[in-house]
Amino acid sequence: MIMTDVDIAIVGGGCAGMSAALSAYGHGIRNIVIFERNSYLGGVLKQCIHNGFGIHKFREDLTGTQYAAKLIDDIVKTDICIKTDTIVLNITEEKEIVAVSSKEGITGYRAKSIILAMGCRERSRGELMIPGSRPAGVLTAGVAQRYMNIEGYLVGKKVFILGSGDIGLIMARQFVLEGAEVVAIAEVMPYSGGLARNIVQCAEDFGIPIYYNTTVTGIVGKKRVEGVFISDVDENRKPVLSTERFVDCDTLMLSVGLIPENEIAFKAGIKLSEKTGGPIVDDMLQTDIDGIFSCGNCLHVHDLVDFVSIESEVAGKNSAMYILDKIKKDKKPLVIETNDGEGVSGTVPHRIDLNKGEEEVTLMFRPNSKFRSCTATARINDRIISSKKMPVAVPGEMCELKINKNDFGPFEKNDKLTVEIIP
Amino acid sequence: MDRNILFFKTGVSMYDAIVIGSGVSGASVARELSRYKLKIAVLEKGDDVCSGTSKGNSAVVHSGYDARYGTNKAHYNVIGNAMYDNLCHELSVPFVRNGTITYALSEEEVEKLQELTENAKKNKVPGVKLLNRKELEEVGGDFGAEVCGGLWAPTGGVVCPYNLVIAMCENAAENGVEFFLNTEVNHIEKEAIGYSIKTNRGEFISKIVFNCAGTHADEMNNFVSSEKLKIIPRKGNYLILDRKLSGKVKNTIFQAPKKLPGGGHTKGMVMVPTVDGTIILGCDSTDVDDKDDVSTTREGIEAVYQYFSENWKNFPVSREIPEFPKKMIISSYAGLRAHSVTDDFIIGEVKDAEGFFNMAGIESPGLTAAPAIAAELVSEVSKKYIFEINPAFNPLRKIPKQFRDMNDEERIKALERDKNYGKIICRCEEVTKAEILQAINSIIPAKSVNAIKMRTRAGMGRCQGGYCGPEIVSIISEETGIPITEITLSGEDSFIVPYETCIPGEI
Repeated sequence: MIMTDVDIAIVGGGCAGMSAALSAYGHGIRNIVIFERNSYLGGVLKQCIHNGFGIHKFREDLTGTQYAAKLIDDIVKTDICIKTDTIVLNITEEKEIVAVSSKEGITGYRAKSIILAMGCRERSRGELMIPGSRPAGVLTAGVAQRYMNIEGYLVGKKVFILGSGDIGLIMARQFVLEGAEVVAIAEVMPYSGGLARNIVQCAEDFGIPIYYNTTVTGIVGKKRVEGVFISDVDENRKPVLSTERFVDCDTLMLSVGLIPENEIAFKAGIKLSEKTGGPIVDDMLQTDIDGIFSCGNCLHVHDLVDFVSIESEVAGKNSAMYILDKIKKDKKPLVIETNDGEGVSGTVPHRIDLNKGEEEVTLMFRPNSKFRSCTATARINDRIISSKKMPVAVPGEMCELKINKNDFGPFEKNDKLTVEIIP
Repeated sequence: MDRNILFFKTGVSMYDAIVIGSGVSGASVARELSRYKLKIAVLEKGDDVCSGTSKGNSAVVHSGYDARYGTNKAHYNVIGNAMYDNLCHELSVPFVRNGTITYALSEEEVEKLQELTENAKKNKVPGVKLLNRKELEEVGGDFGAEVCGGLWAPTGGVVCPYNLVIAMCENAAENGVEFFLNTEVNHIEKEAIGYSIKTNRGEFISKIVFNCAGTHADEMNNFVSSEKLKIIPRKGNYLILDRKLSGKVKNTIFQAPKKLPGGGHTKGMVMVPTVDGTIILGCDSTDVDDKDDVSTTREGIEAVYQYFSENWKNFPVSREIPEFPKKMIISSYAGLRAHSVTDDFIIGEVKDAEGFFNMAGIESPGLTAAPAIAAELVSEVSKKYIFEINPAFNPLRKIPKQFRDMNDEERIKALERDKNYGKIICRCEEVTKAEILQAINSIIPAKSVNAIKMRTRAGMGRCQGGYCGPEIVSIISEETGIPITEITLSGEDSFIVPYETCIPGEI
């Protein structure tokens, strides 16, 4: 196979891939290729026709499609090479890439650096093990959204939704706008995982009830969904079957979580985190393979696309620095690992190298339950390195904590930087 | 042969032989019949072949140590097992003889395995051995500390059951057998010219009828015979683990058989490494009333889940993956076994209904045994009715290699032939548009999303159709001309996207 040499190869042409590409381009790298499996750039943003995007990044309230358009406009002004309808089959530790498309067939690339930006996928019914029949009309929010906004089809007219995260809420509203009835939204937790504004604007404003502490315990219907059984759950999130009741509907839409998409990373032998599902990265967003970076929802699932852009710009810049040999390779690494403490899950990055990268590190993490007037802290043993007061913290919203590398002070080899949220 | 006759017909049609059902029994019989110069019809009530019992089971080709000596089950299991290498070779179906281990946790269980070893000897199962802890380790790897021995059956294997059944049906169709889908038998009457089979799609007449109706085989028999049969559907639930674990489980591993409260025993829970790299865990066993209801049950799923959570440590895979990997569960399913109250296969001509042949009560080890039963049964029938050999019969079903099994060189060549190999539709299972088009245009056309899934594995991976679902719907529509809103998951009114979004001003 003929191998084409490139500087940076980016897997995925959604928000993360485009943002990383633009950032690397801005730092002087010219030979960049983006592989995108769809026929268009923009990824899932293209099916997000609702607003709420871009407030942090562009100081504007945009729809997902507008947000994508802004990035695409910038990309086409550059000579970044775009390979749409192209799927990456494999990457290797040596940063060789095999891709395939109808137009160009099997193609090989040798990159100086790779940025993984594959986004995420949705948890399916199969993973939840919801008992019952397997009729048409059970689908995930993203699939329903794609049918609705890209293809122009409505998956049902009487919809029950499981999961009150942002996607669930937004789809609830859109079903109503498209003339369907949303019977209710069930949420297994005592609170919604979605943004406060979405709970109000998408459910409350449309009179759609949210049943908290409730889950779906059965699917009924031979060929097409005829209804679902729902039950209250106890404090361990286990269904209380004595409360089981039937709800008439023709569709069950699942919005029950996102999983970083890392099949290629897994095949390449990149070390993945059990907690985030994404690669283990340092504060330059570099994986355990030198020169391979990860950003966006394939690194960890974000709440807002703005933060995907911001994070991916970091990955793009560091990929450029890596190629330009500007990463301080002469200095000995001085690494400390991060660690989820009380109230926190999925801290990224997993490692901080005090002798490399930027002076300021941004720790990103999610609260593992709902907190009011709390403090997020990062400490080494009992020594607090950084802390921040927060009026409210919920699992649906990502928290960040900035630390200056000069503030770390001395630490022992096995010490860890523990991130926690204290009420 | 006219490729478009398979779905609909009306009026009265005459056939030399009619097969009711297209599961592993019906498919085996149809293929055996196609060796002769006959006009043959298969009647299937589902929207696709293999849409009943044969679709959901443990995928194990049993060695035959378990079936009680002297029964039909034992006899045909052992013969059927031996046929599998050649059968799967002829049909281009992956088959792996990975060997079966049944492990024991106590002396009592070892004794039970000792009984099975003796039973295996009588059944003439090749190579079965009772192994002590050390010997077991050499054969099957490092079992948990509590495991004290195991029964080794080297001829045990795995096959994809629907892949096999679809292949047999396609081969039968290539050899002239006509398949009528969505065709449900409502009544059968014996008339002077033969059996009159009344269906929702008209009347079929034949002197020779094979009853391969799975859980409904008793109804078919009882239409024509005073010797009534009773088939009890017995449900089992299964979990499927991600292909990421491919290669981590080598043998099919059973727990020691458990006595059932009502007498007899069940093979119990089993861990099966499938030919496709996933791992099947199952199953419980519960008698149910509905002969078509393959809903999973909470109790069943929980029983399987709990068993493997608690006993994971006994399996060699636990050395590498210490805890039951919950996150690797990608799906669950349930299957029905057509259990006869006589607890054995019911095979042969019905005493008071000449020309009506039963292949009933084909429960485990039915998948293994069916090809053997069909071969023997059809051979006998051919002698009785003096069938003429079909000189054009071709036992080979050739299919192009799947993209996921190709190396880079083969992929480049495939793409030169057909650019659709460059369009990957199912990311998880690496299924290309070329393979989906092949399924749609195959001799028994796949026109529903599930029919395509069964033939290509598109949608069977970890995302469960999250990415490929909409793509497949639009490919079916493009290729067949069926409007998007009428594309189904599995026939009838299982529409996936029944409505268009509203046009402004329409609400």
